[in-house]
Amino acid sequence: MLFNSIGYLIFLPLTVAAYYALPGKWRWILLLAASYLFYAMWKVEYVLLLMAATAVSYYAALGMEAHTVKKRKKPWLWAALTVNLGMLFIFKYLGFFTGLISGLSDLTGLPGQIPYYAILLPVGISFYTFQTLGYVIDVYRGVTKPEKHAGIFALYVTFFPQLVAGPIERARNLMPQFRQEHAFDPAAFASGLRLILWGLFKKIVIADRIAMLVQPVYGQPEYFHGIQIAIALPLLIIQVYADFSGYTDIAIGSARLMGFRLSRNFNRPFSARSVADFWNRWHITLTTWLRDYVYFSLPSRFRGKTAAWRLNLNLIITFTLVGFWHGAQWNFLIFGLTHGIYMALANISKPMMEKFNRFSGLAAAPALLKALNQASTFLLVSATGFFFGQHSFSSTLTLLGNIADFSNTGIALRQMLQNNDFTLSLILIVFMLRFEALAGRPGWKEHFMQRPLPVRFAAYLAVLFFLLIFGIFTRQEFFYFQF
Amino acid sequence: MNRQKQFFRNTLIFLLLTLAVNAVLNAVYDRTMIYHRLNRNQDRQFEEYNDTLTFLMLGNSHDMINPAITGNSFNYASPGEVYTQTYYKLKYILEKTGKTPEYAVLSVDPANFSPKAENTLKFDGYWRKYVDYPALARETGDFDYYIKWFTGRFCAYIGNYKFIYMSVLFRDADFTQVKNGYRPPRDYRNFAEEPDRNALGLERATSYLAGYGNKPDKGPETYFRKILSLCHDYGITPVLVRMPLTDEYLMHARKLVDLDNLDRQIEEIAGEVSGNYILLDFREALSGRPELFFNADHVNPRGADIVSEKFRARMQAHINP
Repeated sequence: MLFNSIGYLIFLPLTVAAYYALPGKWRWILLLAASYLFYAMWKVEYVLLLMAATAVSYYAALGMEAHTVKKRKKPWLWAALTVNLGMLFIFKYLGFFTGLISGLSDLTGLPGQIPYYAILLPVGISFYTFQTLGYVIDVYRGVTKPEKHAGIFALYVTFFPQLVAGPIERARNLMPQFRQEHAFDPAAFASGLRLILWGLFKKIVIADRIAMLVQPVYGQPEYFHGIQIAIALPLLIIQVYADFSGYTDIAIGSARLMGFRLSRNFNRPFSARSVADFWNRWHITLTTWLRDYVYFSLPSRFRGKTAAWRLNLNLIITFTLVGFWHGAQWNFLIFGLTHGIYMALANISKPMMEKFNRFSGLAAAPALLKALNQASTFLLVSATGFFFGQHSFSSTLTLLGNIADFSNTGIALRQMLQNNDFTLSLILIVFMLRFEALAGRPGWKEHFMQRPLPVRFAAYLAVLFFLLIFGIFTRQEFFYFQF
Repeated sequence: MNRQKQFFRNTLIFLLLTLAVNAVLNAVYDRTMIYHRLNRNQDRQFEEYNDTLTFLMLGNSHDMINPAITGNSFNYASPGEVYTQTYYKLKYILEKTGKTPEYAVLSVDPANFSPKAENTLKFDGYWRKYVDYPALARETGDFDYYIKWFTGRFCAYIGNYKFIYMSVLFRDADFTQVKNGYRPPRDYRNFAEEPDRNALGLERATSYLAGYGNKPDKGPETYFRKILSLCHDYGITPVLVRMPLTDEYLMHARKLVDLDNLDRQIEEIAGEVSGNYILLDFREALSGRPELFFNADHVNPRGADIVSEKFRARMQAHINP
């Protein structure tokens, strides 16, 4: 079920009403049934997969609890890792690897032709697999106690607001909330509604409008050159932000209607001053997951000391995994690798850059330095837009080949400016970034909430009717559903 | 408890305000939307039309055949119209108005049979008069038709910012030029003067034909068949026309789809349902004449008059061989 569908418009109020109507001890049953229904509306067979991931992680955690020695816990951990990652591999990566083996066999002439497997990717598999893996690893490490209540655990894996595209929740944050009895809180409810409205605005008005401009460039790259591609790259990154952060706002808002608090997933990423800072602000629950369970697990010492080159290598490995997590394609691998290399290079060149800033006087002008850093980070991230998305690798090569051709700049710019959706998109992007910057300031929400009721109502109505008039109502899927 | 009461009271006020604003916007949109006004003006002219009805032109903005040139005709084509709408409009005409044309003229470009054609069913606020949305939902199994009926009835403005913009732009539109339903095509741009005709041809061809496949889409095909059946039941001869397209559009269209193959399949469908249809192919009649087009796939008034003249001559030859 899509958040931006009529179905969800009916499903959510009914679920929330039933949630508050039921006594606390029965609410988990309602939420679990609603969550399975939510998932089954997409593809009922794949609910079994979700149940399998739940069962394996549940029993593995209980199995670990029976032992105090880590060595004895390990088989349970490995069993859970193998099954969960195995399912992810089969459904998400098998096609990529069979294609790779066949390609290598073609290239080398060695036998190795195997049939190409392309299985329909279960929506949200990358998200719920990481959530269950995080839980199992935490239990193994002793950070989290295993959940004995199978229903509560199943709800932790399937909780519908965050099931298909996160935020990837840690057990210690979400699981205890299922045991709390949430009384109806008008302030939290209103805040949830505001988040849903803003999320829908970002998705339907901004992201889907930008998608109309960007999709043709990635879909038929042979027809686009120079300035068109140079503009499409940052637009794609902003589209993905509006889409994914819009989804996240709806998810967090939906959960908040019932008194649940989900983790923050975005923190104004375009104000980042470095690529590392960008990843501290973009898809936060994924990057912290990989930091805690991958980056910190990689060896950092060499000859008895912490080695900078090892840390940089670990960064590159971790971010290549970030790329590969997004999709089983060369494009995503290169996307992640490039971000890893950006960060490693930034670490290596840090002393040199500091010297340069002092020498050039930039260090004495912090506002200018901040602006330059933000602009350069945005450009670096935008440049990786070549590799972000489900387009083929040959399309990427075409885009890379065509971007140097600026012969049509005048005509292309004129056509873009004649396109009302392009102009409107630019205005909306500025509005979105400015509004989020304002809303992020301390005290701003309280200041707004102290305005008279008619003023607040006028603001809500303005956003709502702007959304209704300027929204693109063709029910585009959320970008991150493909992962 | 007081906080909760206050919250529910405020929520109720907000909902009522939302409904009130929605009702006002819907009413204003319904009355002032340029295509609603245009189509209703056409409806009025058709009601008042009392001459012999030899040719009834149906379809969308491509079907620019001038009744002043063809004589004894009414052009009932409307912007963005798809076969589903044409079927229901023709059904309404035949069942409710008592006016039966001798020939029903309909364009049959592969673009009319594109998978995208059925999804573009729009202007639901106006089309509620003709289209049986619940029947469509039942026949196609598509729940969206109920939503279309609902939005068309209660909040037709939703997602229609482009039409609101156009309605403001053309708020003083002069409908006196519309004669026998025919609105002379747009003439404020000339395709020959466009700096990048190739890009415009691509854009239009892609918008209709990208992701097409090698068969006419089942949705438009079903209603095309129904139109022809309706013609057959009322003894009307269908005249299927391929309207002119620019060279740039055709070049890209041929890259996207196998036009000849699709044409052949469409003819086969027409042949299966109607034994006596007439096919007029003007697709390349204005080849090399970009100055006769408004954009890549629409003729301008001069282009329309040339095609109308050709249409008249061909039909005259058919009627009086």
